[in-house]
Amino acid sequence: MSGSGRAAEVYREQHVREALARDPRVNELGISVRLASGKLFLAGAVASDERRRAAAAVVAELCPDLEIHNGLRVPPLAPPDAETMR
Amino acid sequence: MIRVAAVGDIHVGEDVRGVWAARLATVATDADLLLLAGDLTRCGSLAEAETVARELEGVGVPTVAVLGNHDYHGAHVDEMVARLERAGVRVLECGTATFAIDGHRIGIAGTKGFGGGFPGACGSDFGEPEMKAFVRHTRSLAEGLERRLAALDTDVRVALLHYSPVPGTLEGERREIYPFLGSYFLAEAIDRAGADLALHGHAHAGSEIGATPGGVPVRNVAQPVIRRPYKVYRFGDDRLLGDG
Repeated sequence: MSGSGRAAEVYREQHVREALARDPRVNELGISVRLASGKLFLAGAVASDERRRAAAAVVAELCPDLEIHNGLRVPPLAPPDAETMR
Repeated sequence: MIRVAAVGDIHVGEDVRGVWAARLATVATDADLLLLAGDLTRCGSLAEAETVARELEGVGVPTVAVLGNHDYHGAHVDEMVARLERAGVRVLECGTATFAIDGHRIGIAGTKGFGGGFPGACGSDFGEPEMKAFVRHTRSLAEGLERRLAALDTDVRVALLHYSPVPGTLEGERREIYPFLGSYFLAEAIDRAGADLALHGHAHAGSEIGATPGGVPVRNVAQPVIRRPYKVYRFGDDRLLGDG
């Protein structure tokens, strides 16, 4: 039944989010996780390439049957700027 | 002129060793003070406490911080605070720090704060002990913040938080998680005591600019929000010589 299949995906996605929050290699609470057609998509911003790779490694350990698409980015920073308080 | 640099959620881990020391190298040129709005580390380990202390010890201006939820995760808060203080970082939890700059005085009242939500969509001090404890924890921190802010007699007063006092700077986050991102108790405390600026982090997908219902400017300086090493907030002489 397709409904139960999606239910399993919903729980699995959340288990991945929990792992990314709790695993000391990552500890990220804001990573977007989406499971579709046997593929797991990660998206969002992380602080370093090492954290980006670690997130994929954590997911691969948890979901060895899934193809992982690592869309996590390490965004560039703009220079500091200032605001004058009125 | 008083210039306050601020950033939150720098989440220092071993993998970014040296990165924040470099990013903060210009603070001493750009600002008189550096305020850190919590989540200095990734998981609050002793190793991360050591790393972040080393990142901050060369900043070159007085530095004041509150901790965030990530800093509490490893259950080494006392050791982290002690290490940061040795690095010259003043860590506030319902405490204050004051500085004299360019002939004027600025006071910082800080607390991590906590969640609970915002008017019309918040937890109540009712029901199970765990629910009461959650709400009462936030209320207790907000009361501490109010007392500390009210006691400051400086020309400029800044509330430094990790959790948000208002929903306005959470826009971009899913509304379902707002109660985990802040509490109106904090805004009520700020409005009662008065302040010139409230800074917070925690909401990585939120937005930078907001205000309390009483009109105090609120800025979400979470690093993923500002997308800069820090922001600088200037309090000009016209403001300092007025009613502040």
